Amino acid sequence: MRSINRRSWRSEDRNDPSLSEVLYVLWERRPLIVGAVALLVLAAVAFGFMREPVYTAEAIVNVRPQQSLESDEEKTAFLEQVRGVVATDADFNREVMRRAGWETGAADFTERLDPEPYVAGDEAGLRVRFSGSEPGVAARAANAYAEHFVERVEQLNDERIAGGSLAAEASMVQRATPPERSNPRPLLYAVLAAGAGVLIGGAAALLLEGRARGWRDVRDVELTLRAPVLGVIPDYSSDGKEA
Amino acid sequence: MDLLLDPGSPMRGHYEDLASNLLSVGNVRSIVVTNPEPGAGCTSVCLGLGAALAGMGYRAAVVDCNLDSPQVHRMLGEPNFVGLTSGLVGDKTLEHYGHEIVPGLLVVPTGPVLSDPAAKLDTEAFLATVRGLEESRDVVILDAPVAGRVLRSPNLSGGFDGILLVVHASRTSKRIARETTDDLIDAGVNLLGVVLNGCR
Repeated sequence: MRSINRRSWRSEDRNDPSLSEVLYVLWERRPLIVGAVALLVLAAVAFGFMREPVYTAEAIVNVRPQQSLESDEEKTAFLEQVRGVVATDADFNREVMRRAGWETGAADFTERLDPEPYVAGDEAGLRVRFSGSEPGVAARAANAYAEHFVERVEQLNDERIAGGSLAAEASMVQRATPPERSNPRPLLYAVLAAGAGVLIGGAAALLLEGRARGWRDVRDVELTLRAPVLGVIPDYSSDGKEA
Repeated sequence: MDLLLDPGSPMRGHYEDLASNLLSVGNVRSIVVTNPEPGAGCTSVCLGLGAALAGMGYRAAVVDCNLDSPQVHRMLGEPNFVGLTSGLVGDKTLEHYGHEIVPGLLVVPTGPVLSDPAAKLDTEAFLATVRGLEESRDVVILDAPVAGRVLRSPNLSGGFDGILLVVHASRTSKRIARETTDDLIDAGVNLLGVVLNGCR
């Protein structure tokens, strides 16, 4: 019965709950934790299935300056400049939407479009991402933007010869293909919800334990009080009341 | 009451285990039995433990020191005309103010308590009177007030061989029991151990 070493139990640090005490509480209150996990996982899976799936497709356009640029900062600034000249007017977006067959509005189209400059060693360009509710739409829109971007750079280069200011070459290095996986992913949400359930359920278990009036057994007493249990007296009274 | 005192009671074995564990702790002849909050069953444990010790051949005594709320005589269904307080003012030992409810077990109720019970527990007379029982008894068990009161009384917290803490399986708050145990250990008392009472 006295599992705590009498020589050492008084000298134990009594300020913080021990790991064994926490694990014991979590194990004894496992129905609460399992319940919290199950509830959150169900909610997450339901959320994942009810929400409209989002497919993201990516096309890559390579952009090369005609003059030599040394640093990544210079290359990034150059890419922003090219994008500013080529792709910021309303006509550009209207043409991309027309090619993509997009009919639900310019604002929604712009929100789903994400052209991002990249620099990787000697290579630099744009990663054109588009998020749509269908894989084909996402790929078509990303490719429409990339293709029209390349065409506009070539067109402006031709105009430069005739007096324009752009000095760059662009080419499509990767066409977007319809993505197979969508976001949100119910499985990922379920895993995250399970983790949250363990944390919330565990915290609730420890909170309830601190307010409990019931003792389960000798181990519960020894872990909670960190003192040896010398005796266990069962309740033989009919009404459970004693002096 | 028969459950506590009858040698054939199913509880007797549990109290004998408790008695054996207490005796194995070492030189313990006077034990203060207290609880973190009222209702843990201190008086039952005192009487059951005393009866078990008596059944094991030891001469034991239970002294009701709970002057605020005397319990022993109520559990036994007996009057409280004489007892501990009589011994504090008289010149006889407590053997004369109690009676053996089973062979080998002397029970001393509180006796009449007229005023300021706390002050009576902190007198030299109290310590000398109760410890005087050790001349005729192998083990003296003190049915004490709640632990907070014990801690405020130098006699109860440090005047005897050790303290036994009783917690009830369904009526004692875990938080209060933990705080009480911490307080007892921080105060440097000789906490012998814990009794889990009322297990189902």
